[in-house]
Amino acid sequence: MAIEFQPRIVGFLCNWCSYAGADMAGTSRITYPTNIRIIRVPCSGRVDPLLIVKSFQMGADGVLIAGCHPGDCHYTEGNYYARRRFALLKPFLDYLGIESARFRVEWVSASEGKRWSQVVTSFTNDLTKLGPRKALAPEATR
Amino acid sequence: MARVGVFICYCGANIGGTINIDKVLEAAKKMPMVAFVDANKYTCSEPGQLSVRDAIVKNRLNRVVIGNCSPRMHENTFRKTVAQAGLNPYLLEIANLREHCSWVHGNNKDSATDKAIELVRMAVAKVGRDEALFPKRFGLTKRALVIGGGIAGIQAALDIANSGHEVVLVEREPTVGGRMAQLDKTFPTLDCSACILTPKMVDVAQHPKITLLTCAEVEEVKGFVGNFEVKIKQKARYVDLKKCTACGDCTKGCPVEVPSEFNMELGKRKAIYIPFPQAVPNKFVIDKRETPPCKTTCPIHMDVQGYLALIANGKFKEAYELIRRTNTLPSVLGRVCYHPCEQACKRGYVDQPLSICSLKRFASDQYDIDSLPVPEITKTGKRVAVIGAGPAGLTAAHDLALAGHQVTIFEALPEPGGMVRVGIPEYRMPRDILSKDIQYIQKLGVEIITNARVGEKPKLVELQKLFDAILMASGAHNSLKLNVPGEESEGVFHGVDFLRAVNLGQKADIGQRVAVIGGGNTAIDAARVARRLGSTVTIVYRRGRDEMPANETEILAAEEEGIEIMLLAAPTKVIAEGGKVKAIECVRMKLGTPDASGRPRPEPIAGSEFKLDVDTVIPALGQAPNLVFAKDLNVAVSGKGTVKVDEASLATNIQGVFACGDAVTGPLMVVDAMASGRKAAGSIDAYLKGEPLPTTAEPKAEAKKPSEEEIEALKEEYPEMPRLKMAEMPAEKRIKSFAEVELGFTPEQAQEEAKRCLACGVCSECRECERLCQAGAIDHSMKDEVLTYQIGSIVVATGYKTSDPKAYGEFGYGRLPDVVTGLQLERLLSASGPTSGEVLRPSDGKHPHTVVFISCVGSRDELKGHAYCSKFCCMYMAKQAIMLKEHDPHVQCYIFYIDIRAGGKDFDEFSRRAQQEYGTLWLRGRVSKLYQDGDKVMVCGEDSLIGRPVEIAADLVVLATAAEPNEGAAHLAQTLKVSYDTNNFFIEAHPKLRPVETQTDGIFLAGSCVGPRDIPESVAQGGAAAAKVAALFSQEFLTSDPMVSSIDQAKCSGCLLCQDVCPFSAIESQKLRDGRTVSVTNESLCKGCGLCVAACRFGAANLRGFTQQQLLAEVVSLWQ
Repeated sequence: MAIEFQPRIVGFLCNWCSYAGADMAGTSRITYPTNIRIIRVPCSGRVDPLLIVKSFQMGADGVLIAGCHPGDCHYTEGNYYARRRFALLKPFLDYLGIESARFRVEWVSASEGKRWSQVVTSFTNDLTKLGPRKALAPEATR
Repeated sequence: MARVGVFICYCGANIGGTINIDKVLEAAKKMPMVAFVDANKYTCSEPGQLSVRDAIVKNRLNRVVIGNCSPRMHENTFRKTVAQAGLNPYLLEIANLREHCSWVHGNNKDSATDKAIELVRMAVAKVGRDEALFPKRFGLTKRALVIGGGIAGIQAALDIANSGHEVVLVEREPTVGGRMAQLDKTFPTLDCSACILTPKMVDVAQHPKITLLTCAEVEEVKGFVGNFEVKIKQKARYVDLKKCTACGDCTKGCPVEVPSEFNMELGKRKAIYIPFPQAVPNKFVIDKRETPPCKTTCPIHMDVQGYLALIANGKFKEAYELIRRTNTLPSVLGRVCYHPCEQACKRGYVDQPLSICSLKRFASDQYDIDSLPVPEITKTGKRVAVIGAGPAGLTAAHDLALAGHQVTIFEALPEPGGMVRVGIPEYRMPRDILSKDIQYIQKLGVEIITNARVGEKPKLVELQKLFDAILMASGAHNSLKLNVPGEESEGVFHGVDFLRAVNLGQKADIGQRVAVIGGGNTAIDAARVARRLGSTVTIVYRRGRDEMPANETEILAAEEEGIEIMLLAAPTKVIAEGGKVKAIECVRMKLGTPDASGRPRPEPIAGSEFKLDVDTVIPALGQAPNLVFAKDLNVAVSGKGTVKVDEASLATNIQGVFACGDAVTGPLMVVDAMASGRKAAGSIDAYLKGEPLPTTAEPKAEAKKPSEEEIEALKEEYPEMPRLKMAEMPAEKRIKSFAEVELGFTPEQAQEEAKRCLACGVCSECRECERLCQAGAIDHSMKDEVLTYQIGSIVVATGYKTSDPKAYGEFGYGRLPDVVTGLQLERLLSASGPTSGEVLRPSDGKHPHTVVFISCVGSRDELKGHAYCSKFCCMYMAKQAIMLKEHDPHVQCYIFYIDIRAGGKDFDEFSRRAQQEYGTLWLRGRVSKLYQDGDKVMVCGEDSLIGRPVEIAADLVVLATAAEPNEGAAHLAQTLKVSYDTNNFFIEAHPKLRPVETQTDGIFLAGSCVGPRDIPESVAQGGAAAAKVAALFSQEFLTSDPMVSSIDQAKCSGCLLCQDVCPFSAIESQKLRDGRTVSVTNESLCKGCGLCVAACRFGAANLRGFTQQQLLAEVVSLWQ
């Protein structure tokens, strides 16, 4: 029996909106795939591109950043910086040898439990279709 | 050396039921740095917490990981636990095994357990790099801000004030009271709503610790708990609260009526109004919207809407007085103005613009200017010489005379009036009417000396010696030449000169066949005058009809009078015989690319020359000023032949000499000249008083074109009503004389036409209220203000509004007049409502006997409305059914329902009372359609309990609309940086345990802004929020969150990028002793977002609690 490929996803969620939205999915008992590992940050603008690239380097099949909807950032502007930064980072990943479709940025608000589950489910499914990561050059890992 | 203790919680079956806790413990034992593991059924309970504390002490643990529910739930709880064990509370990390694991992966237990192990591993990796953090203390301002003056806000404000703290209560409307003030009776006690509410409203206004701001809105909020800085926009009321006695004299005289918002648009209110009789503050307010486009575009900014409103109300004298405030020559402008106001009039987008110009003439015709009193003037002793008695000079003289200066006008021609007198023919501007207007100006003390051409006698130099200031307003009377051969022949009579001769009663011999060259007003005037002298006239114009600059009405009138207009032709030669004009040679033109004026450049078509047999040629190509006399004082003249002036002050290069009107601009319209004269008078007055001259020019007056949606809304609201055409003398009669062609409106016509005004600005600034107010409380010059307050805590209580049922077309709201909303019925029931408490059908004013209620219009509807239930509608429908029966025992009420929500105390009993005692029939089913049948509204629904369709012939149908957050709630949430959901309701910190708090410290919530709430809940929450505020204010200082940014100055390069990205301006620059500039964080301003960390390319910035090392460790731990 073939072992189905299970993508490993690292998620960076902002404390005020998306982490709370993921909590809301929990309180509403909405099920979604188990593949994601969530790291809490105060703001999506806190996420350094270094962390994303490191995640891919370590072997992550997908990285998801989730923040507040533009206009609703708890710190007013953090998600705008995040938006710009990751818009630049995405095409750069292709250049680094990482398929940019493996990197996703989503805006999830504190009341959007259902949406969070849909985001994770859709990302997991897409990554499953993409298959496992092509490895980087050996000296690049670690 | 880190010694981590890992504590996994079963959380009953919440975690333990899905995740294999033993497996997690086994794995945790093997993780690096872990010195102790344990599991607990309910870690957050008292025994649970005790066991954690004991374990820390017994095992000398110095780091703690708890695998339990979301940190947003219990992180603070366990920080306290850990602190009680003697550890720094920040040496703790939580692994979210419940909301992010067991609760969402119930269908995959093995995978959930693996995930739980990894989440614990991440938490261990992070906690190993935790450092002890120490919160700082900071002070707080003990003043609360309550946003919203409904029952929740009122209660919160009173409770906070009674606990001894200052409160600022901000309310957007002119009165507090909110929705509750609109209700008639309240369920289940059937108390009169106003009776129980108004004492609280009065308390709030009179409480010594409460500052009540109405007509005010929160604009900006900066800072954090205990230290907010709030900017509040206090809108101008235009009524002085200290002087107004609410006597109501003003509102009786106000001519503008608009739908009343308080009465849900069922009745009307005036522009100056009190929303309802028990309003607090019980003072009037003037509803002034943006300056209407008519006033903005008018060069002299007349109060157009004002006088139209007064005419519509039959107050012709008051209309004339209002016109005179800005217009010194109203009878003139009422006849000859090119009325840019009409082009801007918004009514023009519905059907046709108002006949503003003609209405102004009507008002002037009603009043005999000779009876206008002359005001008392205090003389200044200064003398001003005005050169030219045209509209510019006359307006300037009028203003200067009122300011107290002695004015002498030197007019070159035998009669005053300038171009109005000698350019505009008498059939447009009757001589005697113009003279009366000018005589009034002379009554103010202005001396007019005619036949005095400055430059000949007197000379400009003499004037400079005799007067303190000189105003050059000599206009533009020189006609522009044709510049074709033969122009000097006899029979070529320039238009301006021709008109002047006729108007002054001098010799003006013209032939039988006249060609007028030109397309402007002068050309049309000359043509129509020539016609009246008996000639056949052809106008020759080089461009097309659309490009003719003359007034459209003038062009039409000329055509009616038999004047031929030859377009796209221009003369090339005047053919003379014996020195007299015999014919003109013309060439056909075609329109080419646009020139500097924006009009297409005319280009001659080669070989298309033709001859026109005429004996008189009247060129009317434009005018230029005659400034020969200016050389006497070396007044600077521009290349175009106009006087050079400073744009802002109209001063020339010679001190004390000013210029205005056509002499400065070249030929423009009468009203432009008057605006210019007024501006010059202002400058001269300042100059004579020794004050500085204006330095900024007024921006060009342009009214915004309304948006597509606005036009649609206007068309929907106003039925088409074309503009009244003024009676005119028939063409065949009028060419025989110079009698006035336009005959004017009758008073009935004028009122009818004026009533078409849309009242764009609502308050029309007619100043009737000001005139009628004996307390002198009206002040139209009030401006909006911004007030700044230091605030310690904020309570948001912005309430709700009801939804618009127009989305449900099948219910016919807006189409069928007898379909109303619940809140509208409430106003009909209310004694202070539009029908004084009589329930009358909107269509015919009769009492309804069969009333049908439809529940859930807009609620419980994911597709077209809101998914949520609006909570109180079931109860208010029962209440309204009872009240209707109380008003009229013959009424029969039906309520179509899905469920009956009557959960509160005494609610169910009340609902049943409506059924049993008041005979209300509840029908379980939905309604599919309403239609009009005669005077009944047929309601087609279903009774699902008997499984049959039901049709009821109703007299009145009431829709229970949904409760929605008030307008601007989302914007306020963004201003406060507080979460709000997809329905725009504010989100509480926890729906069960923290219903009045938000995730932001110091900001609390109360009432329907969080979700539909009834009155007892709103009152309770107002009190609860007040208790939270009082608890906050009971502290002498607050502690800050120590998870702030820190800059490693050794690594910092001084690029200051972190400073740019910080939303709180918390990063400052510091110069070190070695000369380097580096960043440093101001910890009391830092909110811990971490933007600086992500921005820093040198790794100098870090965020305590979420350091780079910690986050990296979490990532790396997943692959260990």
